[in-house]
Amino acid sequence: MRFWSRMRSALRNLFRKEAVEAELDDEVRAYVDLLTDERIAAGMSAQEARRMALAEMGGAEQVKQAVRDHRAGARLELLGQDVRYGLRQMRRNSGFTLTVVLTLALSIGANTAIFSVVNALMLTDLPYPHPERLGTIFTHVTGSSSWDERHHINGEQWELLRDQVPALLPGISGIRPSGVNLQSGTHVEFLHASRISAHYLDVLGIHPIFGRNFTGTEDLPHGPKAAILSYGLWRTMFGANAGIAGRVILIKGEPYTVVGVLPQGAETPQNADLYLPLQASRTGEGGGTNFIDIVRLRDGFTWQQADAEIDHAWAQRTNRYELEDNAGAQVSYHTVPLQRGETVTLRPQVMGLMLAAGFILLIACANLAGLTLVRVLRRTPEIATRLALGASRWQIERQLWIENILLAAAGGAAGIGIGLLAVRGLLRLLPEHLLPVKSVPLDGHVLAFTLLVSVLTSVLFGMLPALVTRRFDLRAAMGSRTATGGEHLRLRQTLIAGEVALTVVLLAASGLLIRTLIHLQTLPPGFDPSGVMTATASLNNLRYHDPVAFQKLLEESTEAMRRIPGVEKAAAGLSLPYERSLIMAGITFSGKETGQTAIADEVYVTPGYFDTLGIPILTGRAFTTADGPNTQHVIVINQAFARSYFHGANPVGQILNKDARIVGVVGDVAMAPGIDAVAPLTDEKTVYIPATQVQASLLAVVHDWFQPSWIVRTGGPVTGLTEQMQHALAGTDPDLPFSGFYSMRDLLAKTLAAQRSEVAMLSVLAALALLLSAVGIFALVANIVAQKTREIGLRMALGSTARQAMIHIGMPGVRASALGLVLGLMLCAGALRAMRSVLYGVGVYDLPILLVVVLALASVTLIAAMAPTLRIAAIDPATTLRDE
Amino acid sequence: MSSQPTNLLQGTLDLLILKALSTGELHGLGISRRIEQMTQGTFCVKPGSLFPALHRMEEAGWLSSLWGESENNRRARFYRLTKTGKAQLEVEKEQWAKVAVAMTNALKAT
Repeated sequence: MRFWSRMRSALRNLFRKEAVEAELDDEVRAYVDLLTDERIAAGMSAQEARRMALAEMGGAEQVKQAVRDHRAGARLELLGQDVRYGLRQMRRNSGFTLTVVLTLALSIGANTAIFSVVNALMLTDLPYPHPERLGTIFTHVTGSSSWDERHHINGEQWELLRDQVPALLPGISGIRPSGVNLQSGTHVEFLHASRISAHYLDVLGIHPIFGRNFTGTEDLPHGPKAAILSYGLWRTMFGANAGIAGRVILIKGEPYTVVGVLPQGAETPQNADLYLPLQASRTGEGGGTNFIDIVRLRDGFTWQQADAEIDHAWAQRTNRYELEDNAGAQVSYHTVPLQRGETVTLRPQVMGLMLAAGFILLIACANLAGLTLVRVLRRTPEIATRLALGASRWQIERQLWIENILLAAAGGAAGIGIGLLAVRGLLRLLPEHLLPVKSVPLDGHVLAFTLLVSVLTSVLFGMLPALVTRRFDLRAAMGSRTATGGEHLRLRQTLIAGEVALTVVLLAASGLLIRTLIHLQTLPPGFDPSGVMTATASLNNLRYHDPVAFQKLLEESTEAMRRIPGVEKAAAGLSLPYERSLIMAGITFSGKETGQTAIADEVYVTPGYFDTLGIPILTGRAFTTADGPNTQHVIVINQAFARSYFHGANPVGQILNKDARIVGVVGDVAMAPGIDAVAPLTDEKTVYIPATQVQASLLAVVHDWFQPSWIVRTGGPVTGLTEQMQHALAGTDPDLPFSGFYSMRDLLAKTLAAQRSEVAMLSVLAALALLLSAVGIFALVANIVAQKTREIGLRMALGSTARQAMIHIGMPGVRASALGLVLGLMLCAGALRAMRSVLYGVGVYDLPILLVVVLALASVTLIAAMAPTLRIAAIDPATTLRDE
Repeated sequence: MSSQPTNLLQGTLDLLILKALSTGELHGLGISRRIEQMTQGTFCVKPGSLFPALHRMEEAGWLSSLWGESENNRRARFYRLTKTGKAQLEVEKEQWAKVAVAMTNALKAT
């Protein structure tokens, strides 16, 4: 009752202010009139009566103000006044406002952008029902080498997980979607197909809009061939035909029955165009760790029960590969949330960037604290006047805080805009499928974060001026025209030193990443990448399970490509330099090394492969057309393999895998790592075999995982090369489309895309830090120039040159920066060690980089500190002294 | 009792205004004079405290006001108690009685 009555009054007071005021006026006047009447009635003269009445009233304006102060909504109105005053101040000091808002916009924008990635990766729920019940399994090994990570699993693990862990509904998929060709009439379309187990989609809680998920029978080895289409494929290739379920389509040259269509927008960790049954077993593909598991906790069970059941089930395995070469190791398994499992490799990078963005925010705050401090000091006369007129310190402080919050709000709003743009740029920069999420939205979480950051910033940069005004001495302030002590200068110098220190760390860190990228990009590739064009096609096709057809295709198509005018050489191979290749474990030796086994990349190649790519033959020979399916099995190894297993002895003539003779050794080429991920590009141990001698049983599975490449070397640019290559391939198989054409430069860029985007992001942040530091130093010196104009005038009148004056004034900025540089280098000593794992070809303490950082900072400091002192040259001593 | 007007105790002003209006509507000066009369000149309410109190109490819904003619034909704003105002008067009276007893006892204590 009382509350509503006050609310009504408050609204009336705020929105019908004029009427309320007029009434108050009337009422006060009436009171005076009545009082006068009373006095006249008591026998006073009219004039005397009025004088007395006014005296008793005690000042009509004060009375009215007292009423206003107690009126409902008075506080709100005061707030409104303060806000309006603050806005006026912002408009009046447009230079200051612009600097602050821009600084905030850039730093808050950077934080918003990177936080939105953190949010999308780690905070947003996975797009599945009950995401908290989704998980994946980590393998934890303790021993001479310890690790705890999401490991791919093999067929035996899968069967035990499926059959002996009642707490979980598990599903598995192949490691990556494979390239397949879908034939529809005369049209052949290259697609990404993911092979999944029967309950994979049930684990994710995805139900087809038509038809059903795979049945257990369809998932059995050699079971019926079924397919589930993604919504997109169903629309584009099948015209959204509602009767699609039950129809037979031709995939990989074999008939598959469509059993379902996924709903629109359905996401899976695989994100493929279509899904096929995995049909996993303990043999073949299932003999190795070639599956990725996902699990859903069944109702009524706990994750602890699930972990115990997995431990128990997997202890029964015959093949415990985790314990090989790791004497005395202990292994256990535990489930982790699926989201963590999917993002675990990206976390360190993303958190590193978030930390860098946090640095930016601190730097911005240090700058803004300095700027607002100066502004408050400049407003000393105004504040002194207000205090003298009776304003309370709280009123003054409230005014300052409101101005800070207004600035932070403006900066935050602009920051959201910049953040939005930055996220868009970021996503364009990132390689496709690097982030395991479909989109990076600017949702409620992000907006809440930005709001929080804005408020936090305003508190951080507003605290300093507020503390200074708290110690404000009214008498001193009224006495002097400006109140600035050496104490405040030192405070500002400390702020600058702090921000410069953080800048140094960011610069050095981005410098190390840049050096790493340069190192990787200029790594001797081990072959001649110029003038090479490559094309990939999917041989994941029943036709090419037959070795004869496969060999005929490679032979005829490379021969046809060699006939293209301008093409000098042509060849084909399972994989290319810079790519990740097939890994073969259990390669056996004969002779001295009998009993030893090797693990290496295995690449099948046509005879011209080494020649076409320009890979040097170091000893022995390359393959020739004479190496056929029925001749002696031959192998060419690379130097890394020779070094690892033959220790300087001549490997040519040695026998591998019982019957394959090593006939040559070739130079190493840069490869994406498969065996040991020690660097983004490495010299992996590799064995090459002739395409004619690939085991027939291997053809199907290898082409399910990899798409081979055709390679041509041209003397110069050839117009219409890709069309002619496709044409040459069509001469042998008209239904085989190339799925993509890549120059070697493209392949290198693809392999290093993640590194490149990381470098770009950190460099942008480091550049931003440098810019902000420069602005901070500039503002400090510019402010000193403004304050000390008279002192400078005096110095110059006394015989100082403009140059000396400039150095004298610019020095505090230079000193602050120098201190920051030293602090920063000390910080680097500790902080950069954390980067060791992402650096290649450069040490953590790299002298050239540190020199570049010091030089860059020194030159920026000099420019920022000296630019404002240029005004000194224009100072006329006579004028400034007269001004006194 | 001293002849000097005494400062109003915090919170007593509302009670006095409510009491002054309990016999009928009055304008500002009327309320002021009525309080003086009721307290035999002990309390003299100045406009600087009277007006803010009147506006505050009206906003709280205890008083309502309307413009009318004074006894000598001046336009003035008259205040009267609302239903809630009458209830509030009873509440404050009770509270005051408690305070008065407590204070008397406290001062008597040895």
